[in-house]
Amino acid sequence: MDFEMDRFMIALLDRSPPHALEHLQLVLIPVVVAFIIAFTAAVLLTRERYVKYTDRVMTVFNIGQTIPPLAVIAVFFPFLGLGREPALFALTIYALLPIARNTLAGLKGVPGDVKDAARGMGMTEWEMLFKVEIPLSMPVVMAGIKISVVLTSGTAALGALVGGGGMGAVIFAGIDFFRAELIVAGTLIIGVIAITLDRLLTLIDDMLTPPHMKA
Amino acid sequence: MIVLDKVDKVFPGSTIPAVNQISFQIDEGNICVFVGPSGCGKTTILRMINRLVEPTGGEIYIKGKKVSDKEVNPDELRREIGYVIQQIGLMPHRTVEQNVALVPRLLKWPEEKISLRVKELLETVGLDAEEVSRKYPYQLSGGMMQRVGVARALAADPPIMLMDEPFGAVDPIVRGRLQDEFLRLQKALKKTICFVTHDINEAIKMGDHIVIMNKGELVQHGTPMEILCNPANYFVKDLIGTDREIKLLELTKSEELVTRTKNIPEQIIEKDSFILAIDPVQRALEIMMKKNSDLVGVRDGAEMIGTISWEDIKKHINMISGDN
Repeated sequence: MDFEMDRFMIALLDRSPPHALEHLQLVLIPVVVAFIIAFTAAVLLTRERYVKYTDRVMTVFNIGQTIPPLAVIAVFFPFLGLGREPALFALTIYALLPIARNTLAGLKGVPGDVKDAARGMGMTEWEMLFKVEIPLSMPVVMAGIKISVVLTSGTAALGALVGGGGMGAVIFAGIDFFRAELIVAGTLIIGVIAITLDRLLTLIDDMLTPPHMKA
Repeated sequence: MIVLDKVDKVFPGSTIPAVNQISFQIDEGNICVFVGPSGCGKTTILRMINRLVEPTGGEIYIKGKKVSDKEVNPDELRREIGYVIQQIGLMPHRTVEQNVALVPRLLKWPEEKISLRVKELLETVGLDAEEVSRKYPYQLSGGMMQRVGVARALAADPPIMLMDEPFGAVDPIVRGRLQDEFLRLQKALKKTICFVTHDINEAIKMGDHIVIMNKGELVQHGTPMEILCNPANYFVKDLIGTDREIKLLELTKSEELVTRTKNIPEQIIEKDSFILAIDPVQRALEIMMKKNSDLVGVRDGAEMIGTISWEDIKKHINMISGDN
């Protein structure tokens, strides 16, 4: 396979941008949906009433991540068919675990004496959750979201295999036609997406957390 | 003010009650100290008063109102009871100002009133408001953190304070200072305070009333003087330790033993061996040892009111400790 600079520039600047936008959606939508599901689940699982279900629910999330996304698509193929939706669905399932696990760890890691004092001061359960537990677990939760984002950025390339679009389309075209320029351009942009999102999340984390509370 | 009526607590999964049929009452404006070894149930009692733990039997009344009443919302109940714990439990992600303002904000006070209150409180507990307001708890020393903890508990001016080994985590020197300051504060504030400690010396120093507990049972309660003079059994004697007489002398004011006379011996004035009428008698012993004499003078302010002799002290000890 040879490599020509001008072909590479065309691949990078002309072919990639529309796919990059698709790719971004393949990352952001699953992560946001996964965050809503996983975060809610973890919050519920740390409430006294639901603690007993923790192992069971976490097993489901674990399975969600051990099954390759392509297999998820295969299983749901009869219901969802091919295209963007099944890709989003599979990626969402894949993104759940890191967020759920970190949120759970973060909430469990809130010091007992702080919670005891907060309750003793007369905070309601909701106030405890929003003013103490969530803010104190934020650094660990954010770390989970970052893992999920980086993981999904890479995995989303597989979306192209089922017609979901994204940078995978460029990379697989490169593989099919023996064009190293396409493969490198596609990979490069995925890398840029992953790093940019990670930095953005770090910025948000910095704004939310006082400096000494960093995980 | 606070009444416990045959209060029981058996924790789930345990057959032995953590607190067994405890009844007593705490008067308004008093410091009541619960003292006993670990696991004696003292903390459980404290936590039942603000319903962090629900009793399995009996009733607790605050100002004649049942705390377990259906109309009482536990969260609102707790906002009216100050709570200080050994680990302090300051919110690490909040500044000192935000920590102290916690309860007033829960009660939705106007911001202006809150900021004035926080400033006032920080000064009250001996901190420089300007300097510490914006700091985070990790930037403070243990003693300062504990002061912030006390300020936070006092924030909404609750009539009742629950304090669970509040000075247990600081070194003895700082602890002594915090105790003194707290007693001085209490003179002005007149809160009704439930205070838990395992340290009998702290109990004697802080308590208007002492409740001695062991294995969930109330062993003895009374004023420090009553308990020192008449320990109910070996457990209490053991808890008090071998220096019971010295502790008694710490609690006795010199004016109680003074022999009033206008003729103060020359040598006392020469050596300046004087104590104040409000000093504990123990101070007289110290002066006797230091000045190598059997007699000290007692002053009330500038006026010389009499003397205390070694014989007086011996007689007094024998009389109140009941060994003679």
